[in-house]
Amino acid sequence: MIFSKYLFFILSFIAIYAALKVLISKKPMHSVLYLTLAFFAIGGHYILLNAQFLAVVHIIVYAGAIMVLFIYTVMLLNLNIQGEFPKTRLTAIASAIAGGLLLTVLIAVFRTYDLKMAADPSLNQIGLVKNLGKVLFEEYYLPFELSSILFLAAMVGAVMLGKKDIY
Amino acid sequence: MKAILALTILAVLIMFFGVRKMKKVLLPLLFVGLTFTMILNVMDWNTSVHYFNEMFIADNFSIAFSSILILIGILIFMFANIYYKGVERPLEDIYALILFALIGGIVMASFGNLILFFVGLETLSISFYVLAGSKKFDIASNEAAMKYFLTGSFATGFLLFGIALVYGVSGSFNLEAINSYVIANNGSVPMLFITGMLLIFVGMSFKIAAVPFHFWSPDVYTGSPTLITAFMTTAGKVASIAAFYRLISIAFISLHAELVPTLAVISVATIIIGNLSAVYQDNLKRMFAYSGVAQSGYLLMVMIVLGPKSAGILLFFVLSYVIATITAFAVLMLIREERGTFFIPAFRGLAKNNPVEAFAMAIAMMSLAGIPPLAGFMAKYNLFALAAEGGYTWLVVVAIIGSMISIYFYFKPILASYFSEGEPQHKIESSINFKFNIILCTILMIVLGFLPKLIINLL
Repeated sequence: MIFSKYLFFILSFIAIYAALKVLISKKPMHSVLYLTLAFFAIGGHYILLNAQFLAVVHIIVYAGAIMVLFIYTVMLLNLNIQGEFPKTRLTAIASAIAGGLLLTVLIAVFRTYDLKMAADPSLNQIGLVKNLGKVLFEEYYLPFELSSILFLAAMVGAVMLGKKDIY
Repeated sequence: MKAILALTILAVLIMFFGVRKMKKVLLPLLFVGLTFTMILNVMDWNTSVHYFNEMFIADNFSIAFSSILILIGILIFMFANIYYKGVERPLEDIYALILFALIGGIVMASFGNLILFFVGLETLSISFYVLAGSKKFDIASNEAAMKYFLTGSFATGFLLFGIALVYGVSGSFNLEAINSYVIANNGSVPMLFITGMLLIFVGMSFKIAAVPFHFWSPDVYTGSPTLITAFMTTAGKVASIAAFYRLISIAFISLHAELVPTLAVISVATIIIGNLSAVYQDNLKRMFAYSGVAQSGYLLMVMIVLGPKSAGILLFFVLSYVIATITAFAVLMLIREERGTFFIPAFRGLAKNNPVEAFAMAIAMMSLAGIPPLAGFMAKYNLFALAAEGGYTWLVVVAIIGSMISIYFYFKPILASYFSEGEPQHKIESSINFKFNIILCTILMIVLGFLPKLIINLL
């Protein structure tokens, strides 16, 4: 139990550090690689919560498929050039104020809410494939099926944009 | 529920026939399919079936709004062959995407669970992102798609975060369960819940283009192909406002009193800024985008008042807005094709050479501005009466000032087509088909103006 607590803090530190580096890094490739690190750290959190299936899917889909896509795009478009985005001082100040306000509100809100102590995750069986499948195909059957329409729409759109016709 | 199934099958059939290059079949099939869907949808009236663990609720509210969405589909496809005149391709993918967007809209009008709501919203939005960029070699269309995609995804992120917070506090995605959680706590919910709710409102305000989050709408609506703009302004607004109403009137109804100040500020700002910005536009398409922003402000007034009659008034307002907007865009489409511009001078002398089109445009504009006895006037009248009954006189005053400003810019094309001096532009040839469609819409606008109670008392 103590061990998993330390693991939680280590993973959280890695995740936050990597997420910050995604934003700070000047080179796009570094950002992408740090993002992969952040995904792995979050995958570790899922394992701590005894949600193995989610962890595996998270790593396969995000750290695997999507990151490979990102890396290929960055390399193929030769974006790996250090560059400043054209930002005026006004937008920088405005976005800092807006983001800072949201951050302040969120911190204040989470401080006042007494987060309930979670039950020991190793006793919780909800993250296992069998239970997850039951929930997905019984309670959330309709959203699951409708997401197929969502993917079909995305696919049709991708094919349409790839064609060379005017419309 | 049956409507979703029918529309999915229809979309797949359309793509199948499109791949087989059977161009002539597509539009007739669409009309038959959509009419059939409409009948299936209306057949569930007064049954109020709850599907799949309260996921999907087919009550009268959702059936009415789904019917409006299907009607939008029919109206858009009526003008499709005129807009895409001279395109060799069967265009099955664009038609299918429009149908997918309709499915998303129907889900958004009838969800009973936040997960389903999110899936519906994404289906609608992703179809819109692609449709906005469907004129692939036009730089404005590319810009529209890119801007819409980036800002839209960002807004969806806020919405999702809000849903997560609400779920974290209340422990359920079900709308009724969220409401019973609030009631169980006597309305004194933790601030985390309120924050989540406000983040959901941020996402929804973006989708209906309410004021602090409206900056995407002029660029996106100007850049997209005109037929798609007509579809996005109507279907997107109807679906989002129905979803917003469902959220407020079911899940957050017990907190409504606390929500009123927030909603009132958004509503007033939307009405004033939307109307004032529209005054300065010369490009008619851009003007319609801002007028759509202003109309969202009026629609938000319904959320503030919220009484037994509010759903019916919302329905009537939305219906009159949809018909007037699509008619105006249809005429705009014709003029753009002939004169190559969206600016006001293109309307000069329209009444002399094309009396039918000029008349339809005038009626549509007057309906949007709220001139009696048209549908738009009755919608606004009932809405303002509802707000005044609820004790929001100051809100009504603001809304009336907004309407008076709007008369100025809505009358610009009418003045140009009827009373402009100088050399009138040459005649525009339009097909009998187009004239018939336009006259049908015009008649609908006039008739609805005399029978508002018929629609309002439905809900």
